[in-house]
Amino acid sequence: MEAQKVDMFIMTNAKYFESYQINGIRERLIAMDDSRWAMISTVQLKDPTISLIISILAGHFGIDRFILGDIGLGIAKLLTCGGLGIWTIIDWFLIMGATREKNMQKIQQLLY
Amino acid sequence: MARNKLYLLLLSACMAGYIWLIYNYNRVVSEGMEPGVCLIKRVTGIPCPSCGTTRSVLSVLHGDFTGALLWNPFGIIIVSILLIGPLWVFFDILLRRDSFYQFYVRTEFFLKRKWIAIPAILLVLLNWIWNLIKGL
Repeated sequence: MEAQKVDMFIMTNAKYFESYQINGIRERLIAMDDSRWAMISTVQLKDPTISLIISILAGHFGIDRFILGDIGLGIAKLLTCGGLGIWTIIDWFLIMGATREKNMQKIQQLLY
Repeated sequence: MARNKLYLLLLSACMAGYIWLIYNYNRVVSEGMEPGVCLIKRVTGIPCPSCGTTRSVLSVLHGDFTGALLWNPFGIIIVSILLIGPLWVFFDILLRRDSFYQFYVRTEFFLKRKWIAIPAILLVLLNWIWNLIKGL
């Protein structure tokens, strides 16, 4: 794929991934066929900042984990009063990384 | 989530659960105190959907299943996870299988369906309303 297109994609989507993953994604995209651009450019990624807001407001009920697709963890969090309130606080710090990890998993299915 | 991570999480969560129960056993039963760690309740004064779960589990320990349901139906789910979860995981580790992991993944997939998820959310909301009425 053209470097210009790829750089545009990287620039608009850099905040959805961990910084150390970006170089790898860029290389894969450049090596990729042009016909898959439509799929790559329309992929739905989750915003880490939104996850953090949800986690702060409704993390006690596990909503943040439900939205990421970790249903099991969400249920565990809901049933235990947010892990006795401790897990809620831990997740305020973990949830942004977890969101980026989920985004990486999602785009990996398209890249490979 | 990978198999080993899930098993480690489940075992440590169950361990924490048992320690929590032992810590609360005398406090709640004999002195009639609330566990009182719920953030929502501390901040706003109203109970959250899972308030009363500790008291519910302790009721089951005393053989009082109706009492457990009346405190909070979530307690029954927690008791079954606390009993079955570690046993299942231990057997899986001993036999080098991943049947619990398979079960977990399938359950997650099952619960993501709309006609399961929406009634489940409604049930949780109803339970919350019931908690508010009970004034836990």
